[in-house]
Amino acid sequence: MKALAWLRTSSGRALVPLAVVILIGCLFHQNGAFFEWSTHRALLREISVLGILACGMTLVIVTGGIDLSVGSVMAVAAVLVSLMTMPLGWGGLSATALVLMAGTALGLASGALIARFRVQPFIVTLAMMVFARGLAKLLSGGKKVTNYVTLPDGSSSTVDLPALFRAIDSKVLGDHVSVVTLIFAGCALVTWVVLARLTAGRYLYAVGGSYEAARLSGVPVGRTVLLSYALSGAFAAIAGICQAAQETHGDPETGAGYELDAIAMVVLGGTSLSGGRGGVGLTLVGALTLGMLQKILSLNAFSTEARLMLTGGILVFAVLFQRPWQSRA
Amino acid sequence: MHAPTQAALVTGCALALGACKPSAKSDAAPSASASAQRGTAQSPWLIGMSQCNLGEPWRVQMNQDVKLAAEKHPNLKVVFKDAQNDSLRQRAQVEELVAQKIDLLIISPKEAAPLTQPVAEAHRKKIPVIVLDRGVQGDEFTTFIGADNVKIGREAGKWAVKALGGKGLIVELEGLMTSTPGQDRHKGFREGLELEKHPDLKVVFEADMQWLEPNARKEMESALTTQKKIDLVYAHNDPGAHGAYLAAKAASRDKEMKLIGIDALPHEGVEYVKQGILDATFLYPTGGVEAIDTALDLLAGKSVPKKVVLGTRAFTKDNVSLGGEAIP
Repeated sequence: MKALAWLRTSSGRALVPLAVVILIGCLFHQNGAFFEWSTHRALLREISVLGILACGMTLVIVTGGIDLSVGSVMAVAAVLVSLMTMPLGWGGLSATALVLMAGTALGLASGALIARFRVQPFIVTLAMMVFARGLAKLLSGGKKVTNYVTLPDGSSSTVDLPALFRAIDSKVLGDHVSVVTLIFAGCALVTWVVLARLTAGRYLYAVGGSYEAARLSGVPVGRTVLLSYALSGAFAAIAGICQAAQETHGDPETGAGYELDAIAMVVLGGTSLSGGRGGVGLTLVGALTLGMLQKILSLNAFSTEARLMLTGGILVFAVLFQRPWQSRA
Repeated sequence: MHAPTQAALVTGCALALGACKPSAKSDAAPSASASAQRGTAQSPWLIGMSQCNLGEPWRVQMNQDVKLAAEKHPNLKVVFKDAQNDSLRQRAQVEELVAQKIDLLIISPKEAAPLTQPVAEAHRKKIPVIVLDRGVQGDEFTTFIGADNVKIGREAGKWAVKALGGKGLIVELEGLMTSTPGQDRHKGFREGLELEKHPDLKVVFEADMQWLEPNARKEMESALTTQKKIDLVYAHNDPGAHGAYLAAKAASRDKEMKLIGIDALPHEGVEYVKQGILDATFLYPTGGVEAIDTALDLLAGKSVPKKVVLGTRAFTKDNVSLGGEAIP
């Protein structure tokens, strides 16, 4: 058993499902498409928005909470950034700053209700999910906010796509990496610093481990909970900006159901839904596993039925695989 | 009244209908007995518009078409209800509208079966019912107005054959294939391609993108990786075609292929064609304007056909500035 000791570590267990998925990819490589870097560059781009949401979700889940509002908050951000940069003609920096503040504010609102009134996170963020979707529709008038703008005199014209959008939806390092992937990496790094290097991170784990014990040992539990939801809101805002940039418009319907994918990425990595255990490294592995599986299914043009069933199957496999080892640890 | 005359009336322009307005006051309209003064600017006809889901831009457009068409007639007032994609909520909303004593009901139902009963009850209370886009079961409604997805798909297929000169490699990005519009747009397209007559025409990649742009971009990226050459992409909606364009552009292959979509919303597909992003888009008409025209006829006591199938319009770079080309 000693040779398998690495399997007892949480990262070891998270890597096995990823390895299985890679193996599937090598077997069904579709004339070598799976071995090309462009495939993986595309896959890394595709998981980036969800991965950014998953970073915030990791912070919340570590505290034993859940944030169902990320998909809707992301839509608010996508609509806002599109409104500000295209019809209103703001610069990228000021628009980004304002959208980040808006996302953080929505996260803070959820966090305040949870921390101050001790309402269950599931309920509060469910309410925020509905509210924020309404807000996105209100801001956009129910339509996509595009670069086709109506001028004050009533006529319409097409404005150039904002530099912010073009920058985010481009590739760097000799066209080998999408910018959104770098943004995802940056978000993961921030999450890692918060969780592993800051006192606040210890507090997040402590609150997730046992709320009462944390409170009694002098952890500022209220502020800690507030921080996790505020950061989740901010990450959702970043995800929304990336989504708008890649779609070249702000869609008030965007991000519907993304919260579940983000939760799946976190849980697939091995972060415990009951809080206190996990980390962003695991979430990265979870994100890669799901993303790569989707890519392989897409490359092979599997039917939707097969895709859904296989994805469900892999999820069950990954979760079951983690169980026996967890009880021994 | 003969069918052609009726059809002409239905598709008649608002001006012609404006001439009907005086008769709307004098003629014995369906509920005129209850309120003799209905149908004037002071006491306008009350129309209930039950929309199944305003989460889709196309349905937002439908409501807007109804609203703008109705605003031209001061003797009409429209109350809008959004069922948020819930059949039972829509059922309740239809009942609310009937209780509100509307003079006419326009409904775009979410599903046929659960809404057949409430629509039939409204119809039995002598409220004229115009069913838009999706049908209800039986015949207890006044008229159905809708478009034909198979026909529109077929037009897209024929356009593709012509644009490719009868040979080439095609990618099809499908709408939700468990939905009737997805199936019909697929079926029609394949009929239009006539693959048996064009052996050099091949559909090399098809994937279900579930009407969603981000999914379409992902699937297109897979198509670009596995297919060294793509001559045309047909997406079942314009957002899907736009997603495909973004993927092709990111791979610097957008010049290699033609892109076509369906729906042709003014601020979406038509605009994409204007900007040169799409090569063609085919209108899936909302029927909003036609519904108001028909409503005016019905309120004026005229009879209308039981079913009206709307035509489509093709928008290409050559005709987009002229408002597209009608395909009846």
